[in-house]
Amino acid sequence: MIVAEQKPVEEIRQVIAPYERVLLLGCGTCVTVCGAGGEHEVSFLHSALQVAQARSGDGIHSFLEYTVKRQCDFEFLDLLTDKVKEVDAILSLGCGIGVQVVAERFSDIPVLPGVNTSFMGMAKEWGVWDERCAACGDCRLADTAGICPITRCTKGILNGPCAGTKNGKCEANKDMDCAWILIYKRLERLQQLEKMRRYYPPRNFRVIPRPRRIVKKADVKVGKDNG
Amino acid sequence: MDNYQVNRIKEASYGHSIIPPCQAACPLHMEIGEYVDLVAQGKVMEALQVIRDGNPFPSICAYVCTHPCEDACRRSQVDEPIAIRALKRFAVEFGGDRMIELEAVTTQSEKVAVVGSGPAGLACAYYLRKLGYPVTIFEAYSEPGGMLRVGIPQYRLPREVVDTEVQRLTHMGVEIKTNTRVVSLDLLFDMAYKAVFITVGAHQGLRMGIEGEDSPGVIDGATFLREVNLGLKPSLGDRVGVVGGGNVAIDAARAAVRLGAHKVSIIYRRSREEMPASPSEIEQALEEGIETMFLVTPIRVKRENGHLNVTCVKMELGEPDADGRRRPIPIKGSEFNTEFDTLITAIGQAPQLSEDFRLRIGRGSTIQVDPVTLTTNRAGVFAGGDAVTGPATVTQALASGRQAAFRIDDYLQHRYPLADTGEKKSSLGELSPKTIEMIKKIERLEPPFLPPEARVNEFTTVELIYDWQSAVNEARRCLRCGMGAEILFQDKCATCLTCLRVCPYHVPYIDDAGSIQIPAEQCQACGICVAECPAKAIVLRKPYDRRHIDEELEHALKSAAESKSKPLIIGFCCQYGLFGTGALASLWREGKAGIWIVPILCVAKLEEVHILRAFEMGAEGVFIAGCGEQCSRENTAFWVLQRVEKVRKVLAQIGLEPQRLQTFNLRIAEADAAEALDNFTEQIGGLYLNSIIKQEVRT
Repeated sequence: MIVAEQKPVEEIRQVIAPYERVLLLGCGTCVTVCGAGGEHEVSFLHSALQVAQARSGDGIHSFLEYTVKRQCDFEFLDLLTDKVKEVDAILSLGCGIGVQVVAERFSDIPVLPGVNTSFMGMAKEWGVWDERCAACGDCRLADTAGICPITRCTKGILNGPCAGTKNGKCEANKDMDCAWILIYKRLERLQQLEKMRRYYPPRNFRVIPRPRRIVKKADVKVGKDNG
Repeated sequence: MDNYQVNRIKEASYGHSIIPPCQAACPLHMEIGEYVDLVAQGKVMEALQVIRDGNPFPSICAYVCTHPCEDACRRSQVDEPIAIRALKRFAVEFGGDRMIELEAVTTQSEKVAVVGSGPAGLACAYYLRKLGYPVTIFEAYSEPGGMLRVGIPQYRLPREVVDTEVQRLTHMGVEIKTNTRVVSLDLLFDMAYKAVFITVGAHQGLRMGIEGEDSPGVIDGATFLREVNLGLKPSLGDRVGVVGGGNVAIDAARAAVRLGAHKVSIIYRRSREEMPASPSEIEQALEEGIETMFLVTPIRVKRENGHLNVTCVKMELGEPDADGRRRPIPIKGSEFNTEFDTLITAIGQAPQLSEDFRLRIGRGSTIQVDPVTLTTNRAGVFAGGDAVTGPATVTQALASGRQAAFRIDDYLQHRYPLADTGEKKSSLGELSPKTIEMIKKIERLEPPFLPPEARVNEFTTVELIYDWQSAVNEARRCLRCGMGAEILFQDKCATCLTCLRVCPYHVPYIDDAGSIQIPAEQCQACGICVAECPAKAIVLRKPYDRRHIDEELEHALKSAAESKSKPLIIGFCCQYGLFGTGALASLWREGKAGIWIVPILCVAKLEEVHILRAFEMGAEGVFIAGCGEQCSRENTAFWVLQRVEKVRKVLAQIGLEPQRLQTFNLRIAEADAAEALDNFTEQIGGLYLNSIIKQEVRT
């Protein structure tokens, strides 16, 4: 799941300043789950902006609230066509993908980000989210006992641990587990410690030409003799 | 009376909630959850209104109801059931039931006769009158009330209570003819009555069928109680035996004690577990020194030298019989003799019906009726109460009277009888062990009783009334069955698992299809998941969530805007238990300048947007006052603090001092709470002044 965090109200007030009528657009998928941009947070932001406006006395904005199922698909955005006509800007509380898809769908209106898209991760417990995947496009989890050193090791090294590990924690942050110690312990449990003894060559970043695209559909031709 | 009210009486509505077990078990299907909750909020008059909507004579039920609701109460799976009847009595006494006057207007021309003025007859007359019919009640005895007057002893039901209800009926225009025994129904129809409701009760004591039963000194329980209740003081002698194990036997025994008998023994052929009398009545009888002879039955009575020589036989319990109780079997050769001055037989009662009524009679001499329409074999003649069921409870009789009124209305208006709405079932099953484990155990508070030594000498009421605080605390124990959370918008649910993670009772679960389910029978309606759901997909079945708070907040803000007193402070305060007492109540009453209270039904239901809304509308300070560790729900303070922190962060970003938002625990020593609140008010006053100065400087 994509994890994001709502931007501070002051920053949001600055980006919406030029626009009188603003649509606060939530997304009902990842940012709902991580409590950054679902319907609840849209209402919260709406209230906060109203307070800021009322207390500073310089407010001219009017806000509309709406939350779509998923901002990253055009089809869900079709529901917004009428609402978009009534506003001067859209503040998307979707992730960076959502913002771009909305912008692509509604080319005549400014679309602004309301959250900082942070990482891909999981809910550790209520109210705590941890990063787990960097989308590197070259998954090595089979070698590392299901624990990703790219995201969970501060240095992202492929042959760990480094000399900065102490009591199972990372030198960069004493509260953070050393990913390579976790990998070692889990391999030990799985009786696969031989994987620790191998050398992993540096990854080839040339396999990741950006922006990436995955094409699943086959290139086929339907014709007289075909199909 | 407009249609709305008629409908409300006919079909008790419970909003969107699932019928809780207490309501399903009540013969009148009263909205028990509703009025218990209102008592918990200290809203006694509103509670009484709910009670009156579902019960024609709440003051009577408040004394004598056998409370099947308490037997069904799911709190008994946690500790002990809610003391529902005692709470009703509290609401009736403190809500001002005595002051209520009822009016009724005659809108129908068809006269209806009610034969018998017991609870069923009175209830039937009440509802028929509300529906606009002219009603006459015929009563054979000198005073109206039936069993309420001649069956139930005064120490359980004071006569003034019956008098008040009867007077109210008379005030509504019901005509009551006492000392008038109806001997022929034809005569009633000749007198232009278009429908007749027969509810003559079951006053005839059943005979034991043993030798010597007709000896002087042997009296049946119903007759004995009637004599006592009509003011006679039958002389009993010192030693009194009472045969039977039902409520009449207990009543007779306790009345005998009050008439001065020194030794009163209850003779019952089974053991205490099988006694049909209400357990609390048995307990009170034992407290009053009444003795018991279990597994014994009299087989012969002989009068000798002014005493009764009673031969009894010992019994043992055999196989369960048709009604599930173990059948008593005499033990051969176990006969023994015992002496009494009086023997009261209370082994059952049957109706006594004039043959001229020409009604079809069934088992136990009762009138045969259609259970849905209450019609008898004769057109226009309906029957109900004990005369149909045999001896039953007051509440059952009231329900039967109400049912009869509406069926008579159907008959007179030539309507096809409406589907029977009498049967109500609760779909709520048992609480799961892990839910029970998390529910706070809170001891049941009983209303005080007169001490046994004070009550055996007279017929004054034994049970006293709760004080205010005890009633509120007892009512707060209610688990609010059926009012809980539901995912109203499944399409919005992102299956984020927030509800599952925040629920203190481990109620939500993931089903096989991977969807979240919040089973209604486990939910404790604390509202935490409603406020935390990031998709706003959950609501409470009873709208005590954001919908209720929105309304209350807007109301307070409107009043505040009109008053213009500054600085404006909004206090979100738990409504449960606090209204009548404490620092908050004094605040409320005094209406301290600028402070406006928004009552909410548990602070755990308060959402960040409500707090922000208060600031938006000009509040200089906001406080949230919960009841702390007194809360009957779990974790509420934690969630309030979470939300407060979130709002404080935003306030800081906006440039407002975070200390403008505070939380208080109103259950700490009251003086401390008041002081803390005063400090806060002062602080907000300072901040307000500062902001004005800043503004002045700017301009």
